Amino acid sequence: MPGIDECLLEAMRLPGARGAALVDWTSGLALGIVGESPGDDHETAAVEAAELARLAAEQHAFAPEALATPEVPEVPGAPGAPGAPGRPEAPDGGGDPPIEDLIISNRDSYHVLRFVPTSFDSSVCLHLWLARSEGNLALARIRLGEMAERLVLR
Amino acid sequence: MTTVQTTPPPRLPVRAKAAARHRGWGGVSPMLTRLAEERATGVLVRERGTLHLAGGRVVHAESPAAPGLDVLLTARGTLDPDTWRQALTETGDRHRAGHLLADGGHLAPGALEVCRLVALYDAAYFALAPSSSPGRFRYAGDDGPGCPCPVPVAAVERETLRRRDLLHRIWPDPATDEAPLVRAHRPASPTPTARQRAVLERLDDVRTAADIARDLGRPAFHILVDLRRLAAAGVVAPRPRDPAPIPPSVPMPVPVPLPPHLPMSAPEVTDPHITLLLRLRDALEAL
Repeated sequence: MPGIDECLLEAMRLPGARGAALVDWTSGLALGIVGESPGDDHETAAVEAAELARLAAEQHAFAPEALATPEVPEVPGAPGAPGAPGRPEAPDGGGDPPIEDLIISNRDSYHVLRFVPTSFDSSVCLHLWLARSEGNLALARIRLGEMAERLVLR
Repeated sequence: MTTVQTTPPPRLPVRAKAAARHRGWGGVSPMLTRLAEERATGVLVRERGTLHLAGGRVVHAESPAAPGLDVLLTARGTLDPDTWRQALTETGDRHRAGHLLADGGHLAPGALEVCRLVALYDAAYFALAPSSSPGRFRYAGDDGPGCPCPVPVAAVERETLRRRDLLHRIWPDPATDEAPLVRAHRPASPTPTARQRAVLERLDDVRTAADIARDLGRPAFHILVDLRRLAAAGVVAPRPRDPAPIPPSVPMPVPVPLPPHLPMSAPEVTDPHITLLLRLRDALEAL
């Protein structure tokens, strides 16, 4: 049950990891940053990652709404919350986008943006920057997916 | 018919750190900067919200315009409202209640941290909005929460300025931020995103951005971003304050040249002839 920093430090243990951040892709706010950032500027990197994530999440070609998660995600074993009192009148009220991750490969590095599905209304994603020579993209994808889940689940 | 393009997403602004250093203070509130320097503990009360400081760092922010941590966590069933109330009664404040719930396994620490930070910056944006009256600071004893939660004042100030800039770049008119909102029906409105549609569905000529944020359990700043984008697309407008009755013998209005930085937007008209002409013009332009 990690907090933000523990989650980012875990991401930094991946082979070739140069930097990791948790970014709110609506506002561009970095909720946590560990390691290096592209261009040595944490804030600009967060803003640019947010912009890319939002663009992808809002395009029908990349994020068809038919695949979006329902408004009220299941809360496993929520004590005392029978049926999770959500808002059934808004079935499309901003469930999590269907995108799992975005991958950008550079000549010398990879960027993986992993959307974090949450049971509350949010728009956050993990941004991992990997050195291309040591990084393992497949492993990073799998691990980031697990971390994103653990970050917000009990 | 050509396909209708949605408003291009605006570039998110980057904080101008050099400018802030040059000014010597955060650029939001000189009083807040001074309090941070003297590592003050207490509550800064401003017109649109409050900031709680401990040792010169921000531990909590509140604003009537922004939904609190409890709303974000309970609106969609992440947390049972009764569980929250119980924790709040036991601890006496929202911050400690959150920690208690995370410690008790009711809430993931990551989820708490995400919501807490999002709510803090969200409320701080409104609390630090330009105000007409000076802020007041109440000093308090040194009993800040003993956790590594506080956020530096400089970070809050920079983020607040960056957010103002972001909204301004999307659509420079702040009218949709506070006014009751109406949905403007345009002949060729762009397709809203799923998150924007949830906002649009809640427009009823009465609700304001803050009401919609509470209703959706979504940070108010996120609502402002969507509303400014929808306003730029001509889909949302503030409710006209007092619809003055138009006298029957009104002379033809003289067209007022728009400021050059504003894109052309359709004026508010109800006359069916004018509406028809506008639709005709839009259709011809779309050919």
